[in-house]
Amino acid sequence: MTKQKSSARFRFSGVMLFLALFFFLVPALQAGDYRLYMLAAGVPCAMLLCCTILARAFSLDRLILALSLFFCSVGIASLAMTAPDTALVQAVSCGIGIIVLIVGAILIRSLSGSLLTAISAAFIGLLLLAGKLIAPTFTLPATQPALALLLIAFAVLLSREGPISASGLGIAAAVLLMLRGETADALIWGLTILLLLFAADGRLLVVLPSLAAFALLFYGMYSMQTQTLVYPEALSADTLKAVGALGADLLPEGLAVPETGSLFSRLLGHYGLVFTGLTVLLYLPLILRGTTVASCARMRFHAILAMGICLLLGLSTLASVLSFFGFLPFTGLEMPLLTTSLPSLCAHLFLTGILCGISGRNDSDLAEDAHLAMLAK
Amino acid sequence: MFSVSPEIYSVLSQASRWIFILLALMLLFLAFSWHHTDRKERRDRFKNLPGAGTVGELVVLSGSDELPVDTWFPVPREGVLGSLRSCDLVIPCPGVSSHHLDFSWQDGTGLLIRPRVGCEVLIDGVPVTRRGMDMPLVHGSVLQIGSAVLRLQLFAALSHTNRTFIPPQPAVGSFSDPMPQPVPIPVQYPQEPVNAQPVFCPPPYQEPVPLQMPVEPPMPVQPVPQPPVPEQLPVQEGSPQAPAAPRRKRADRWKEDWSE
Repeated sequence: MTKQKSSARFRFSGVMLFLALFFFLVPALQAGDYRLYMLAAGVPCAMLLCCTILARAFSLDRLILALSLFFCSVGIASLAMTAPDTALVQAVSCGIGIIVLIVGAILIRSLSGSLLTAISAAFIGLLLLAGKLIAPTFTLPATQPALALLLIAFAVLLSREGPISASGLGIAAAVLLMLRGETADALIWGLTILLLLFAADGRLLVVLPSLAAFALLFYGMYSMQTQTLVYPEALSADTLKAVGALGADLLPEGLAVPETGSLFSRLLGHYGLVFTGLTVLLYLPLILRGTTVASCARMRFHAILAMGICLLLGLSTLASVLSFFGFLPFTGLEMPLLTTSLPSLCAHLFLTGILCGISGRNDSDLAEDAHLAMLAK
Repeated sequence: MFSVSPEIYSVLSQASRWIFILLALMLLFLAFSWHHTDRKERRDRFKNLPGAGTVGELVVLSGSDELPVDTWFPVPREGVLGSLRSCDLVIPCPGVSSHHLDFSWQDGTGLLIRPRVGCEVLIDGVPVTRRGMDMPLVHGSVLQIGSAVLRLQLFAALSHTNRTFIPPQPAVGSFSDPMPQPVPIPVQYPQEPVNAQPVFCPPPYQEPVPLQMPVEPPMPVQPVPQPPVPEQLPVQEGSPQAPAAPRRKRADRWKEDWSE
């Protein structure tokens, strides 16, 4: 069994490192750019370092860590062909994000689900959301960090105080998001907290009225903001044909691909529909692993938080893919971990770090149980 | 820096399109395989450790038709007890509300009980307040909720029976206690016969004798036996010399521990 596990892990790590090397080596061979060679050498080495030394030193979940690193490398690679300088900046951002991931993993082990934690996290999160409303000059994109903090506060309140106080916090955050004009984030946040309420409480009598109230609130705010919303045009057949199943820009002549600036569209243009689809599918094992971590957690706070992180990441991925293809009337949605915004990237890596930390805590709890069982004998 | 000619790059880019897709497909497959293997390993670990994640069990002393006597529930470290199916401990008895109480294990103290609003809980016959953290459940404590009476049995390594815990006096008249109170049975000691031999008779007191070191006779000087030379050791046929046990790997020891 150990052999099988090691085999799967080593194969995955090997393929991932080889792919990361190939991401930068192919355009480097075309352009002869030293920055691309630097990335081709640096990114796989950093991934190898993180997957071996950091995972062992901090007892991180290796699969979650490896998948997070892979998404980071995909984000850098999607920028490398057309903007090597931006790709270097993105690599530095990913490095900062990995430090934040480790901080999150360490923090969740020492963080108790106390009321002080909930109050401080909720205060900072609500302040970040309300900052733009209070001071219009506050332009820092702090939505994702605020949502990460609010999710921690929500999990603490739900595990300690019950659904009423947690619902109050969730509704306050959703209203602030609506007032900021971030309807898509409000929708994702609302669905996340409703599903968490259902998971923790289990009573449809509580959840269904909450769902109805949230739907009414969402519809009201959405109808008020219809004028400000921009409906994205669905990708035309010509564009999809130009992008092709296998990508366009790998050819020397390179087809012109409409790039809205998001990493997802760049990835689609460079590597094609099939590769991008497979990359999106790789979010599935990440979320599955997160749900396993949640189901194995000993503390309710950890279980609710891990499940909330999985829901938030999964719903964000789904919403960004649907909105990109015109199924949802939102623009500017970015995939988790595939974003150029440093606060968003750090927030998502912080959440995955929390997942890694909870997984490590589960393992240590299981080892402690084995020790206790031996003592009892 | 080094770059290839456009013709070579054209071939390389065409090949790399397929290689990228192949590698992504392999990644997807290996990620699921890795996740599946880990889950299987964890499931096997739990098979070897049936009590993992729990601190003990609650045994039903008095229940209902749906909850017969001597039913036992594994008690997790944290959770909710109630009559709803989504609770961690489901007690389908009259008088037990859907979410009756929250419990959490605290090392060195016991199982802390926190009743929900409007729910009544008795521990060893003493009612517990909503914020009452002063009376945790310990090994052998009896928990009464509604018509259900449960006894907590902690695992041996977690039991706190040696802890001196003085329960507060039960409030009189504030809560009806359907638990039958133990009736004190007068103990009658048997009359000892007059000429009976006592079980233990201490020896009569004697004056202490000063201790003296015994003088041993001188030991005869004997030659010190030398260890035999390896070549002179008798070699018995049929019993080959056992080779040194190979040093076990850490993973093997870990596996052996689990198999125990």
